[in-house]
Amino acid sequence: MLEVIIIEGLIIGLILALVALGFTLVYGISGIINLAHGAYFVIGAYIYEIIRQYLSNIIPLEYYYLTPISSILITCAITSFIGSLFYRITCHHILGDEVAILIVSICSCIVFQQLIYISLGKLNAFSFRIEPIFPGKIKLINIELFAGQTIAALVSFAAFAVLSILILKTKTGKAMRALSQDVEAAMLMGISVERLYTITAAISSGLASLGGIFYTASITFGVGSYMWLTALALSFTVVILGGLGSIKGSLLGGLILGLTQIATMKIIPGSGVLQDSIPFIVIIVILLVRPKGLFGKRVEIE
Amino acid sequence: MTVIKYIRRVSADLATHIYDVPPRMLASLILILMAATPFIGILELRRLDILTHINLVAILAVSWDLLVGRTGQISLGHALFYGIGAYTTAILYQYFAWPVWITVPISAIAGFCIAILIGIPCLRFKGPYLALITMAFPLAIVGFLYYYRDIFGGETGIPRPLPGLPRIFDKLLPSQRIIANYYFSLALLTISSVIIYKIATSKTGIVFVSILDDELGSKACGINTSKYKLLSFAISGLFGSLAGAVMAHTIQTNANPRYFFEKTALIPTEYSIVPIIAAILGGLGTIYGPIIGVYIYYLLNNYIFEYLIPVDKPIKIAIFVSIIIILIIKWPRGIARTIVEKLEDLEEPREVEEILKERMRKNKPEV
Repeated sequence: MLEVIIIEGLIIGLILALVALGFTLVYGISGIINLAHGAYFVIGAYIYEIIRQYLSNIIPLEYYYLTPISSILITCAITSFIGSLFYRITCHHILGDEVAILIVSICSCIVFQQLIYISLGKLNAFSFRIEPIFPGKIKLINIELFAGQTIAALVSFAAFAVLSILILKTKTGKAMRALSQDVEAAMLMGISVERLYTITAAISSGLASLGGIFYTASITFGVGSYMWLTALALSFTVVILGGLGSIKGSLLGGLILGLTQIATMKIIPGSGVLQDSIPFIVIIVILLVRPKGLFGKRVEIE
Repeated sequence: MTVIKYIRRVSADLATHIYDVPPRMLASLILILMAATPFIGILELRRLDILTHINLVAILAVSWDLLVGRTGQISLGHALFYGIGAYTTAILYQYFAWPVWITVPISAIAGFCIAILIGIPCLRFKGPYLALITMAFPLAIVGFLYYYRDIFGGETGIPRPLPGLPRIFDKLLPSQRIIANYYFSLALLTISSVIIYKIATSKTGIVFVSILDDELGSKACGINTSKYKLLSFAISGLFGSLAGAVMAHTIQTNANPRYFFEKTALIPTEYSIVPIIAAILGGLGTIYGPIIGVYIYYLLNNYIFEYLIPVDKPIKIAIFVSIIIILIIKWPRGIARTIVEKLEDLEEPREVEEILKERMRKNKPEV
């Protein structure tokens, strides 16, 4: 029982951490709370499934593993484009006005939701089943795991590693870190704020769509266009747990949240409906016990 | 040409003189107009329910504005209080069979208390983080409503046996009840917006604004900012749940999870989003703005788009929300407030023009 909870919790936790990664990245670099993150989560899942259905007719059966890989790559490219475009035409003009950015991005979530409804019809907009990324199960120390979920967890771990390398080792990453420390000084050093913020938005929306694909493929009822709310609630919990704007922190927060969720599901029978509430209770309890957040960081904005 | 000149002069005069009308008189004129609506015959009688609904949502929007526009504590989940009001009154009816006139005030007070309970952990957060945590609240509560199905009734809500909650004007005929509901909601809107306006302009309200402007500074002045933030949150919750409770007794007849969050709806958290849109349309931090905003939003949705541009509902909402995004980017101070400020500014250019004309007249070389 315990080892099932731990391993499944770690897998789900890695996926949740991936959902939150883009959110915390944008906050850490540009200080924007981009609620449109939830919209990219939903759009990513929809586009993935549509492309996968299309590709599965083209790609021959013996290369079946190419279908999910290529459709994930195409989806990430498309959502990155949408995300950067959206950032450039809206949020960039109101940088620094937190309320305006919050409201614009929540409005954009609603617009994207309507667009999904218009283009796919009411039934699909409410519930759209996503096939598991890879079919079948694998066995790990006499625990049966879904192959799709396990691969998703591994991919999200890889995404964390790649992103850390990108930020710590490359020149672009150095510029991003400079921007997060002091915008004006970075501008004086010849760093283009517009270009870097757009790149950040593109990366984060790509990661959001990746998280959306993995998360919705791992739950049974698929994706619905309202799920931007769920995605935002999840990513916010992870971010609060692990510390704001910190990549390592979001990994830790995701793992804690995943373990809590799986443990509750396994221990309390019939608590499937509480799935959206559990992250929330975790936050409230942590706030009451440790007001400054789990790792002693002061959880507030300057 | 002379006609155009004449019209321009008259409109400029009108614009300046509208501002001479005291705001109280303007407000009471609008109130009289609204009170006369059932008799003018603009609307079919059954459509009056829409206006009742608008009035109740306007109370929610005004209470949101006190919290966000005046105190600067952003809440994106005000539907929480709306739902709490409805559920409190429904529970009191279902399990204790108390009459309406007791349960509605009690549910308003319950909103006040729950706002304090929620506020103590949540108001530790600032700015966007508070916004996010409040946004997730309605979502979390819906899970519990489904889990404790025996108490809260799951999807269908409570009270279980139909026809549900008693209406406020139960003894009247249906056609009379619609009018009575409308007047009741209008009176409630007037009273609560006046109370909120009084609070906002009182000493407490000034403290609220000081927290909005500079929290650290007001802390340094010896103000217990957490207490005042909590107070603002609680007052906001009081009026929000009052609106929700009245809603459950007039237009709806039960309390269901749709007050908080509805998966199948076009806007899943309508009562969280509409106050925001309304306040942005009307102008943040002005108490009158959100009322105008709610009216603009619902009337546009229900009349203009329905009769003039008949399109599907999702397209309608997409267009509407896109317009709001553009408005926020291009016209960030709200429609109502911008118009009022434009009216104020109208005086100045005219004076400058006159001065220039005088100067030109004086400086004209005498031939």
